[in-house]
Amino acid sequence: MSSKMEIVQAADMSLAAMHCARCADGFEPNEKIVNSNGELWHTQCFVCAQCFRPFEDGIFYEFEGRKYCERDFHVLFAPCCNKCGEFVIGRVIKAMGASWHPQCFRCQMCAKELADTGFIRNQNRALCHECNAKVKAEITGRYMCHKCHGVIDDAPLRFRGEVYHGYHFNCTSCGVELDSTAREVKSRPGLTANDMNELYCLRCHDKMGIPICGACRRPIEERVVTALGKHWHVEHFVCAKCEKPFLGHRHYEKRGLAYCETHYHQLFGNLCFVCNQVIAGDVFTALNKAWCVHHFACSICDMKMTQKSKFYEYDEKPVCKKCYERFPNELRQRLRKAHEMSMKKNF
Amino acid sequence: MSQSCLPVNAKMSKAKKVLDEARETQNRELDLVDKGISSFEELPGLFNMSYITRLTLSHNKITMISPGIANLLNLEILNLSNNGLRELPVSLSSMPKLRILNVSLNRLDSLPRGFGAFPVLEVLDLSYNNLNENVLPGNFFMIETLRALYLGDNDFEHIPRELGNLKNLQILGLRDNDLLDLPREIGELTRLRELHIQNNRLQVLPPEVGNLDLLGSKSVMKMEENPWVVPIQEQYLLGISHVIEYIKTETYKILYNRHIKSERGPPPPKADKSKKASRVRA
Repeated sequence: MSSKMEIVQAADMSLAAMHCARCADGFEPNEKIVNSNGELWHTQCFVCAQCFRPFEDGIFYEFEGRKYCERDFHVLFAPCCNKCGEFVIGRVIKAMGASWHPQCFRCQMCAKELADTGFIRNQNRALCHECNAKVKAEITGRYMCHKCHGVIDDAPLRFRGEVYHGYHFNCTSCGVELDSTAREVKSRPGLTANDMNELYCLRCHDKMGIPICGACRRPIEERVVTALGKHWHVEHFVCAKCEKPFLGHRHYEKRGLAYCETHYHQLFGNLCFVCNQVIAGDVFTALNKAWCVHHFACSICDMKMTQKSKFYEYDEKPVCKKCYERFPNELRQRLRKAHEMSMKKNF
Repeated sequence: MSQSCLPVNAKMSKAKKVLDEARETQNRELDLVDKGISSFEELPGLFNMSYITRLTLSHNKITMISPGIANLLNLEILNLSNNGLRELPVSLSSMPKLRILNVSLNRLDSLPRGFGAFPVLEVLDLSYNNLNENVLPGNFFMIETLRALYLGDNDFEHIPRELGNLKNLQILGLRDNDLLDLPREIGELTRLRELHIQNNRLQVLPPEVGNLDLLGSKSVMKMEENPWVVPIQEQYLLGISHVIEYIKTETYKILYNRHIKSERGPPPPKADKSKKASRVRA
């Protein structure tokens, strides 16, 4: 700290009680005495502790009880700014392992002064809170609140095309503080981001009776498809296999899922080999094929067969015993031989 | 009812009785199995019963189908298995609802020109006849609605590449022919899940067969009794899945290309077919 000295006349004081703060000797009558902060000095003793010269303009700097001229004090003790390289006089910002002028210590992304707002060290950069949040959100894939610019740790609340902390909003109806489960209700149907939209808590939204789509969990404001015990957006009610919307075409249900005709048959194969129709009732399964009750029959004479009927296999088609016995002898011989060969190969 | 004093063929009366009954009950499915019928003339009024959807005439002695059969506009299933048919009328192909045609176990030496014009045919069973690639009409492989084609127990040495047109084919039966090769286009039959090629003269499989889904739980691939090249035979002994995996390899593709370019003669026919019932002169 620099101080100003004061020169007083020794005559004004009682000399016997006074001594120099540096050499401890007394003062001559009428000798000029330096008075600084209540301490007295010979003028030749009141000099820089480093260069022993008097202080220019009487300005000195004090450090650990010793006084220095401006030049020597800077050389010996003053910090250099890590940015501009100049001595830092006055307020020194100690940060990031270095010293800075307050006006030199700024956010490395947005260049905002950090002296009074504080900073966050991020990958060896000093960043303001906003920029740090931005960087963090980018890295973790998390959202940044459009209102407070903080990272949204939980699920974001989506509103008018932006993401927010839920707690910045209250339910339009009951006033409760909201979270990510809040619903945006469109005031102008057909427009997603809409400055007339309003937010409701789940409870109030449910009371409004707007159906929720079973696929996207968002409210359905346009046409509603009701199937599988749920409501769906027309374009979200799709085949579980090809994901194409049915758009009013027939769908088939199996184990809580809906399929288009093609994929239902492809996956579950319950097409009757004869009528090529979906088998509604009991299914006969044999020879890698399926039959409806009406069409499970001998492939040669079309005589109906039951689950208990014995049949022969001819190119993976069922042949009743009667018909098989009417096959030409040479064919039966060949079939028998082939059957024996395949048995031999398999066992 | 009046008593006829004309001598009536016992079997003919049996068939007539079935027809009369069917007319009375308006039964849409007609079973005339093993009735000793040798001609459609023994079935008077049949062609007027245009409401019938199924006509089964298996185990008879019919040698010719009257073209008038095309009057049965609602017929979906026609089964003439085990008769003495030598030819088919082309009018069959124009039947608007015919989905299943079974003419297996007959004596067909040829198919009529334009036979492939069926509008909705799904299952065609030509097993156990005397057919080969030279007697197929030009439009045979135009039956795009076909789900199943049975050509087992015939005399094919080659299958035309137009086979690839049958996009809906799920079942292809070629058992017990004289096949020397299969067209590469077989790989285009993406819905195929049954392939019967046992008992032929095949030495190699087109690598494209590897594209087909023949290993699923509902699939069938039968390929025994062929003079396969050694690598295929080795894989076959391990199982069909090994064959399919093997023919997908680059090694096999090279082997296949070399094989089809080589000038080696085909393996000799092994079966004496003269005893086939379809050939024996009645």
